[in-house]
Amino acid sequence: MVLVLAIGDLHIPHRAPDLPPKFKSMLVPGKIQHIICTGNLCIKEVHDYFKTLCPDLHITRGEYDEDSHYPENKTLTIGQFKLGICHGHQVIPWGDLDSLAMVQRQLDVDILVTGHTHQFKAYKHEGGVVINPGSATGAFSSFTYDVNPSFVLMDIDGLRVVVYVYELIDGEVKVDKIDFKKTATASAH
Amino acid sequence: MGFLVLREKKNPSPISVPQTFVDFIGSNLDSNLAMAKERIPDWLNSSLWSTTPSVDGRLHRFSLSPTTTTTTAAAAVSEPIVQPTVPVSPPAAASRPQYTVTSQKYEFRDPIDKNSNNNSNDNDQNASPSGVSPDDISRQAQLLAELSKKVVNFRELRRIASQGIPDGAGIRSTVWKLLLGYLPPDRLQWSSELAKKRSEYKQFKEELLMNPTEITRKLEKSAVDDHSKSESSGLLSRSQVTHGEHPLSLGESSIWNQFFQDTEIIEQIDRDVKRTHPDMHFFSGDLPLAKSNQDALKDILIVFAKLNPGIRYVQGMNEILAPLFYVFRNDPDEEMAAAAEADSFFCFVELLSGFRDHFCKQLDNSTVGIRSTISRLSQFLKEHDEELWRHLEITTKVNPQFYAFRWITLLLTQEFNFADSLHIWDTLLSDPEGPLETLLRVCCAMLILVRRRLLAGDFTSNLKLLQNYPSSNISHLLYVANKLRSQASN
Repeated sequence: MVLVLAIGDLHIPHRAPDLPPKFKSMLVPGKIQHIICTGNLCIKEVHDYFKTLCPDLHITRGEYDEDSHYPENKTLTIGQFKLGICHGHQVIPWGDLDSLAMVQRQLDVDILVTGHTHQFKAYKHEGGVVINPGSATGAFSSFTYDVNPSFVLMDIDGLRVVVYVYELIDGEVKVDKIDFKKTATASAH
Repeated sequence: MGFLVLREKKNPSPISVPQTFVDFIGSNLDSNLAMAKERIPDWLNSSLWSTTPSVDGRLHRFSLSPTTTTTTAAAAVSEPIVQPTVPVSPPAAASRPQYTVTSQKYEFRDPIDKNSNNNSNDNDQNASPSGVSPDDISRQAQLLAELSKKVVNFRELRRIASQGIPDGAGIRSTVWKLLLGYLPPDRLQWSSELAKKRSEYKQFKEELLMNPTEITRKLEKSAVDDHSKSESSGLLSRSQVTHGEHPLSLGESSIWNQFFQDTEIIEQIDRDVKRTHPDMHFFSGDLPLAKSNQDALKDILIVFAKLNPGIRYVQGMNEILAPLFYVFRNDPDEEMAAAAEADSFFCFVELLSGFRDHFCKQLDNSTVGIRSTISRLSQFLKEHDEELWRHLEITTKVNPQFYAFRWITLLLTQEFNFADSLHIWDTLLSDPEGPLETLLRVCCAMLILVRRRLLAGDFTSNLKLLQNYPSSNISHLLYVANKLRSQASN
């Protein structure tokens, strides 16, 4: 039962001052084992804040991140799953699922976490699953101003992942979940 | 030492019981010396007498109506017999109090169960400490006889058990289960009761030790397995969260929230279990045996903590659980040993029920809390040994809380070595007055036995002594404790 937080595109301080208070009250230390961050935090303070939530933090570089030392991609293994992280601004067309599938095959991961579009998405294809946690602060994106703050919490348990989607809609936190099971056979390339 | 024998007086009148060693020698010396000069009987030359008398506190029986003639007197050789007063000598001294009971039998409180006996007329031999003496066997036989009856007579069982339960044959495990009310007196019901209780425990474990992921999965019961097969690609469908349950939930009733709150307690339990009896391979070390025992202890304590939200887990409960689990796990009966975890759980609950209030912080200052028990001990001491009480509490200002807290809450498990504490527990569990009353008496006896040192000491030395109670003769200690009972009723 491993809890993994997938979060990103906060754009603090440029586009948003802080996380929504309702999100902040839920994110307390001690519950989450790993944090996967797609990028565009943008400043060190946000990095430190995430570190207080969980010491195991994985970040990839977004185009506005002030720390240039974050990697472009990252892969890690949690339990039975291989996870890959990439901000997504490098993948053109932005948010295109086929292109993202290419990246996934390239990184050879079961779950690819990307961002940049500021829209939550969970998509499945033969190669695996692509999850976009959206923007945690609801910052405007290159496409639209109408962004709901959202993030994702994954509960990895053996071969099964339960993806909890937290969205702030009209000032209320809405939680949905998605069940996803990895087939025992290796995913096709 | 001369072999002073009573053999000449096969059936002496009761009044001729020598009250002191001096009397004894005096009355028999001449006749025996004369006898010795004439001839040395064969039995004297037997190798039995070449073993040195034991020093670990055997009380040698002084038979008035010896049906056997040979060895009784030899017992008198090494042991001076003193008047039965409240013993003032320190435990290391070789005093062997003897007391005669109004009944014809001579009962000695000797829970180390070597040479005291009950209604048999066996000899007490100078058996080597590690061997099993005939009296030990007789006590074992008595207990086995009692246990194999169709309906166990509790009074009888308590009486025999209070003298100490022999270490062999897994008797202690069964006797403790009976004394704690886990096994019913009717033997025929044992198997059904055991099966019921064990399955109950298994159910507790399944319910309470599940993590929230498994619980939510169970709650849903929907078949999500075929989801991945139905569509090879496309947006994954979102579904509603049941009951608002998600891992970051802050609701009081949320299983996730409760789970994270329990994590703290579980960590505490884990730490304490790892520290239990680090010197014993059974509990501590790298062996898989130790690991599985630790896991069992942990599970029991976690289940208990979850079932008792009022008291949860308090440090020290692991020490009370440890002897129970040890005894049950070392039961030679395979089936019993395998179910030791479940049995220990229920017996732990039962044992703790009498002492629960000691662990509840809110009750500390109430009439049932630990402070009140400690003051009862203090009062008890005052009744029995005012001089010592005065010296301890008033002159040297040793607050009983400094030492008695651990004695009482942990049921003396930390004050003596493991084997000794098992013997003490035999008495605690079997005494009809109940474990708490007995515990107070034993604590009082502990104080009285070191009174000489205490009276001579100041605050520092007394505190040091009481917090590191010297290892002593347990049979003597329990004898004194028993004496306190009979004196209290005066």
